[in-house]
Amino acid sequence: MKKKEFDEVEVWANFVKTHKREEWKPQLKDLIDSQIIIANRFYKNLEKTPQGKEKIRKLMNLN
Amino acid sequence: MEKVDDRTILEKFTEDFVKVLERHAKYIIVSGFVAILHGRSRGTEDIDIITEKLQPEKFALLHEDLIKSGFECLQSRSSEEIYTYLKDNTSVRYVKKGTYLPQMELKFARDQIDNYQITTRKKLPLTGTDFFFPSIESAIAFKEELLKSNKDLKDAQHLRVIYGKKLDELEIERVKTEIKKLRL
Repeated sequence: MKKKEFDEVEVWANFVKTHKREEWKPQLKDLIDSQIIIANRFYKNLEKTPQGKEKIRKLMNLN
Repeated sequence: MEKVDDRTILEKFTEDFVKVLERHAKYIIVSGFVAILHGRSRGTEDIDIITEKLQPEKFALLHEDLIKSGFECLQSRSSEEIYTYLKDNTSVRYVKKGTYLPQMELKFARDQIDNYQITTRKKLPLTGTDFFFPSIESAIAFKEELLKSNKDLKDAQHLRVIYGKKLDELEIERVKTEIKKLRL
């Protein structure tokens, strides 16, 4: 793995370690929540299309 | 002063799920969500959870309780069928009824390492949650020795920075030795 990628992880981890939860948690909450909201919205739209449910099962490896 | 609710969708979902689960079995939350709850900056769609192995009739009660609490299993509605997956060490996925995400990826303890992790489970105050986890040493050992994806190695790196010198390196090596013996 490239050293630069590891550095980015360390910079953020050190920020989390040295700052109050109130400072880093809202940033993380936005990232996590938006991913779930957007993906759920996409699946709901896909569900309404022809073979949508079958496609979702394939995407989720449920078949 | 009023407390700010900074819980993510993932945390609220997990709280609802484990509230039901802990009435039936001991559990631990493992893998990516452990790192995310320690501030790791990445998303995930699923939460991995390991429970002690249940007999079919006890699992049926758990499944029924989950259904009553608004969850559904994506693989099947039948607890007998879901149990066949779990018995074969395949995880099953529960979601809140009518949604696709987040997903709770549930599996039974498969060997003595999983049983050890459940027996020695703990709450981790730094996560700001009331969930049960394996030890941080165990979480790091799994990511570095077994899972090893780019994402997992970054998770382990993050946890190493957060816990620093508090980590018991001998325990990490001990768990890695068990992983090599039983999983690799």
